[in-house]
Amino acid sequence: MTFAGFPLLARLAVRRNWIFWTIWIAALWLTTVATVAAYERVVPPGANVQVTMAALGGNPTMRAMLGPPFDLLTAGGFTMWRVGTFVATAAAAMAALGVIRATRGEEEDGRIELLRAGAIGRHAPLAAGVAVASAACLVLGGLIAVVMSRTAPPASGAVATGLGIALVGFVFVGVGAVAAQLTESARSARGLTMSALGAAYLLRAVADGSSTDSPLRELNWISPLEWAALARPYAAERWWVLALPLVLGLVLVGVAFVLEDRRDHGAGLRPTRPGPATAAPSLASARGLAMRLQRSTLIGWTVGIVVFGLTMGSLSDAFGTMLTDTPELAEMFRRMGGGAQVLRDAFYTAMLGILVVVLAMLGVSLLGRLRREEEVGHAEALLATAISRREFALSHLVPALVAPAVLALVAGGALAVPDALRGGGVDVVVQTAGAGLALVPGIWLVVGVAMLLHGWAPRWVGLGWALVGWSLFIVWIGEILNLPSWLLTLTPFATLPRMPAEAMAWTPVLLETALAVVFVIVGLVGYRRRDIG
Amino acid sequence: MSYPIDISGVRKTFGTTVALDGLDLQVSAGQVHGFLGPNGSGKSTTIRLLLGLLRADAGRLSLLGGDPWTDAPMLHRRLAYVPGDVDLWPNLTGGEAIDLLGRARGGIDPARRDELIARFELDPTKKGRSYSKGNRQKVALVAALASDAELLLLDEPTSGLDPLMERQFTEVIRGRHQQGRTVLLSSHILSEVETLCDHVSIIKGGRVVESGTLADLRHLTRTQVRAEVRSPVPAELRGLPGLHDVVIDTVDTGSRIACDVDDTAMSPFLARLAELGVVSLVSTPPTLEELFLRHYDSSEPPGTSLPGREASAR
Repeated sequence: MTFAGFPLLARLAVRRNWIFWTIWIAALWLTTVATVAAYERVVPPGANVQVTMAALGGNPTMRAMLGPPFDLLTAGGFTMWRVGTFVATAAAAMAALGVIRATRGEEEDGRIELLRAGAIGRHAPLAAGVAVASAACLVLGGLIAVVMSRTAPPASGAVATGLGIALVGFVFVGVGAVAAQLTESARSARGLTMSALGAAYLLRAVADGSSTDSPLRELNWISPLEWAALARPYAAERWWVLALPLVLGLVLVGVAFVLEDRRDHGAGLRPTRPGPATAAPSLASARGLAMRLQRSTLIGWTVGIVVFGLTMGSLSDAFGTMLTDTPELAEMFRRMGGGAQVLRDAFYTAMLGILVVVLAMLGVSLLGRLRREEEVGHAEALLATAISRREFALSHLVPALVAPAVLALVAGGALAVPDALRGGGVDVVVQTAGAGLALVPGIWLVVGVAMLLHGWAPRWVGLGWALVGWSLFIVWIGEILNLPSWLLTLTPFATLPRMPAEAMAWTPVLLETALAVVFVIVGLVGYRRRDIG
Repeated sequence: MSYPIDISGVRKTFGTTVALDGLDLQVSAGQVHGFLGPNGSGKSTTIRLLLGLLRADAGRLSLLGGDPWTDAPMLHRRLAYVPGDVDLWPNLTGGEAIDLLGRARGGIDPARRDELIARFELDPTKKGRSYSKGNRQKVALVAALASDAELLLLDEPTSGLDPLMERQFTEVIRGRHQQGRTVLLSSHILSEVETLCDHVSIIKGGRVVESGTLADLRHLTRTQVRAEVRSPVPAELRGLPGLHDVVIDTVDTGSRIACDVDDTAMSPFLARLAELGVVSLVSTPPTLEELFLRHYDSSEPPGTSLPGREASAR
């Protein structure tokens, strides 16, 4: 009877979150389908397909970003390599966030308590969350398989692609379900899951980006995100590999149910310890409070960015030799990194291009706290004191502007540290740190747009995420899609100088900074004029 | 005479919903002013306008001599606010939340803070997420009362408190009253309002429908009178102005009469009664609850059954 009420809760979970699932599934499905359609353009008729593809697939930056290529000579195989692991990773994020939202999120807000007072079993909410998230993964995989079996035959490859993506998602249904049992807050559970996702991605990036003879290469089997690719869709499918995510996902879901049995409703696994009876002196203002609330987020991101930068930077050694061996590769790499003479610079440029978009997520998320604090009534309590609206808005806006900027600088520096240690000199570190900094106006523009929404259209603050999602989409596959060029430049990052591959260009940097300043100010004016609560 | 709270003709709409429709409210310095009204009548909206969280569409608001919209942070140093539905930061302890809110207002008196924590039997080391509703309410009360604010805005401040804690609250507010502080107390607990408040305003549908001292308001409704007299009651007594719902029974010893009497009709009615030879007389003054229910009952348009309303209500 611990599952009583499951159908009701599953329906409720779909009804409450259908927009969340629809947006995620549609975005990921379109990414895949668009890549299949782009294949013809990537390989122009008459080109030497073998050479082009060997160059692409051998490129360690691409390998690190995308995963191992198996067969790039078919539209399906190419798509699997180009976006397969990316979509699987995104599906994993979707699945984990969805499970946490439907379980710990609802529990934290006290709604599950209300339901559990009815004829609802102890495990029913978790079961419903797991079922809906798993179904969502399956729907995504199914849609991908259906379209690809027509546009990128054979069907077996399409099915392997769809199934692989769905099952990687299912693993993170389990990860999310376990994390939701461990922590009392949905926020911490999300942090835990995203750290796991980041670690899994980094692990496979290092493995795939290592040189051919490196023993590190085999480590990609450890990362669940790689399993979809390792099943080799369109390249003599190894169906048994797909048993790995299935089994791991089932085990994790099982663990989640066992853990749920051992904890009280509303509690995590560890009992809450009492805290200080009086506040530290720093907790005396809106700024002090914001710092306290965001502290763990900022520490987590800093550690993550430094580790990511150092680890990815260490790959720069391995591919130096590979590139000199393969001229086609060198040429291809030079083009995609932004025209750098020095191939290593192209690698830094490509990495920074992705990192700043990820850091823009941090900015939007930090500023998002401003709205969340308003929704739960904390803004009301604070604004009833001598704290002004401007102070309150700035307490969340300033970290959203400063933290990603500092981390862009740090990320740039960290990327070059391994090279500097091998004798590259401090100059490289300073140069890449500067390159990171040159992309910061893009982050500020995203945060500026978000602040504009906070000030004038608080219900639509979610659109800030859409802008980040769009930027990520363009960074990842924008180049291979036959989109009009104005659309490609329609991201906050497109016009900024891509250093160190390109030279510094002050005009876009200053223009975007100025635009961001205007947005922020107009947003703040709106925030001072509107109703709160 | 200064009015720490002076509102006239305030209108506030949310989309198509009219929350406040020409609200007038004056609270004089040193008053403990009860603010009563059914759910959704606009009490919280009024308080949030006074806090500068919302902007009025029309009308005039004055708070402690300033404009709550433009001068909010400055004015807030002089007031303390307790919301009816308190949500705390889940990972801050109650003690930390109290200190934060107190300091943000411009300082907290540590001795008074500790005294209040002891008085309300609050454990300040628990995390915000583990407090019960009543305990969350206590955190907000301690944070507000630990300061020496000249004005207290309390929006159903005792919701979730147990009766013992309610009594503690009453005592603290009485103390503040004696020190000359001004209090606006929105509440549904009539006994609380009756014990604490010298003035009461009743709000309904976004307007204040009654306002005055409790004694004033009592006069607005009828006193219930039951009497036994020796002689038969003459029929024309029924027609006496200001008498309502007259029931006359004939009994062995004479007659019984039960009716509701307007304040203004009391003297002539008692004179007529005395002529008939009164055996016993029971007079029940109107309770606040009756007054309250009369207004809460939506089937009865506000004020229509109450004589003298225009004279007393502003």
